[in-house]
Amino acid sequence: MAAASVPRDVTSYSIGLAAPLTLFFLVFFVAPLVQLFVLSLHNDAAGAVWGIGQYVHFLTDPFSLGVLGSTLLLGAEVTALCLVLGFPIAWLYHRVGSRAQTLIILIVLLPLLTSVVVRTFAWIVILGRQGIINSTLLSIGAIDTPIRLLYTQAGVVLALAQVQMPLMTLPLITALGRIDMNLEDASCSLGAGSWRTFWKIVLPLSLPGVIAGCTLTYAAAITAFITQSLIGGGQMLFMPMYLYQQASTLQNWPFASAISIIFLLAVLAVVTVFGTLGRLSRGYGGA
Amino acid sequence: MINRRTLLTTALTLGAMKAFPGLSYAQARPLVFATFTGSWEEAHKAVLVPAFRKANADASIVLDPMLSVDQIAKVNAARGNPPIDVMLHDPGPALVAIGQDIVEPFPVEKSTHYKDLIAEAQEPTGPAPFFQVVGLTYNPDTIKTPPTSWADLWKPEFKGKVGITNLNSTLGTGWLVEVAKMHGGSEANIDPGFKALEALKPNLAAVAANPGALATLFQQGQIDISPGNFNAIQILKARGVPVEFVAPKEGAIAFKTTIHVVKNSPNKELAFKLIEASLSPEVQTTLMKSPYLIVPTNSKVPMGGEIARVLAKDTAELKKKFVFQDWKKINEQRSAWIERFNREIKL
Repeated sequence: MAAASVPRDVTSYSIGLAAPLTLFFLVFFVAPLVQLFVLSLHNDAAGAVWGIGQYVHFLTDPFSLGVLGSTLLLGAEVTALCLVLGFPIAWLYHRVGSRAQTLIILIVLLPLLTSVVVRTFAWIVILGRQGIINSTLLSIGAIDTPIRLLYTQAGVVLALAQVQMPLMTLPLITALGRIDMNLEDASCSLGAGSWRTFWKIVLPLSLPGVIAGCTLTYAAAITAFITQSLIGGGQMLFMPMYLYQQASTLQNWPFASAISIIFLLAVLAVVTVFGTLGRLSRGYGGA
Repeated sequence: MINRRTLLTTALTLGAMKAFPGLSYAQARPLVFATFTGSWEEAHKAVLVPAFRKANADASIVLDPMLSVDQIAKVNAARGNPPIDVMLHDPGPALVAIGQDIVEPFPVEKSTHYKDLIAEAQEPTGPAPFFQVVGLTYNPDTIKTPPTSWADLWKPEFKGKVGITNLNSTLGTGWLVEVAKMHGGSEANIDPGFKALEALKPNLAAVAANPGALATLFQQGQIDISPGNFNAIQILKARGVPVEFVAPKEGAIAFKTTIHVVKNSPNKELAFKLIEASLSPEVQTTLMKSPYLIVPTNSKVPMGGEIARVLAKDTAELKKKFVFQDWKKINEQRSAWIERFNREIKL
């Protein structure tokens, strides 16, 4: 552009290159979001009366707040389970031969190559009354009657954890790969046991990966409409289903918009907390 | 002179014209028929569409399968230039669509088949080419005596074996209305229905998120008995799943599936022709046979096969066995019911 004649500062770039993406986001992301917000500022379902009635309705209704709470809690449970199960895999990845590494990556990535719907139906088969878990327990005589696994919170957490696992494992593998293995050896040679080494060296240094993984898993788990509704069933209500019900079945778009905005803000708040932890952890990791 | 910028602009314009053909050829798009997903789509693709094309010089038509409520949302988003020409609706959404003024009245006087439809199917806002029938479905391997009444769902021997759907679906809502009626309620008074649901809780194995999910639960052995859709069950049965359908003695719930011309459709004439094809005895006769087993509404179509066996031998018996519900009344309170179901039905 015009600035071409001036000697360029190599550390600053023309923002012109970002313009197409900016425009794309403005048109396809910001504009609909604004429209959604404007729609939520109507008191009636037809969208004729202005007001903040929908927000008042949601925020003063214990039931709606309960749905929001249980959704956020679900995300926390799934994230915790993914972290506990995903960390050892990521750790193992850096301690095995290249052949085994390929195998681990394949196992981690495999779920991503299958549709969420297929994976969710597989969980219905596994958790069902005559599913793998129940029939195994029955055959070894551990239980007399099939236990209820499908349509329970535990079932939803389990299925979601499997579905979202790659989002946790991949950032962890990257983060653990950045840690110099010599640090562990040094820690051990200075007399620290393996657990002490883990808590003092490996975990703090891997925190950026943990934070990234948790953010991704959390956001994906609470918005996972298909898995939530198919494993959770029609009587367990989470925010995505609540939203769908209001928008599609009841055509109450202003309330549905208000729900989305509130949900969006709640998720942003959680992500901000993760982000803050991430910044703190960087200081920690560098110390 | 061609420079990079004009080249890019031209390419983008051409690309946009390709991506949004409506920009350049507003009138020339094919007829878009929004059908339901699953068995409906299969049936319409295999029978209705070929019949329509044969009668209309291979006119181009596109099936766009989606739920009724999504059809309404899509048309509402672009009322002036709707992306759909023909809509298919369950009774609840049909009233919403009519109320929102997005359907065109059906040109009754132009139609050849309209007068042959049974009275319940004659709707000037959009006739009903099909019925959906809801009765009791059960697994004959585990339940030896076929159930006969909705009340059987409450029997103690079905503890932990009953499946229902929530009120998001027409099936779930319609069934709850029948339960309310059984206990002295009505479309206007649902309280007895909710009370009965409370008593059903020990028997409930599952509250499915939608009727499709309910059907698969029979396959998993998760449930043995449930209110169910005649067509959905026939499809399962055809795939070897042990499942049977009975019309309860209170009457099977019949939902009119109505078909509508969308207001401001650029293809009104073709839309009318498609609807005519759907009402024709030929199409309805074919759709009545296996594997579709769609209940016909044209009184000239003689009942046969599985429909004659488990539902009705002729139109007169059909009318006697079917219960039609007042969806106008139901719609008035449906959102309150859904909210109540959300709150009260926790297992």
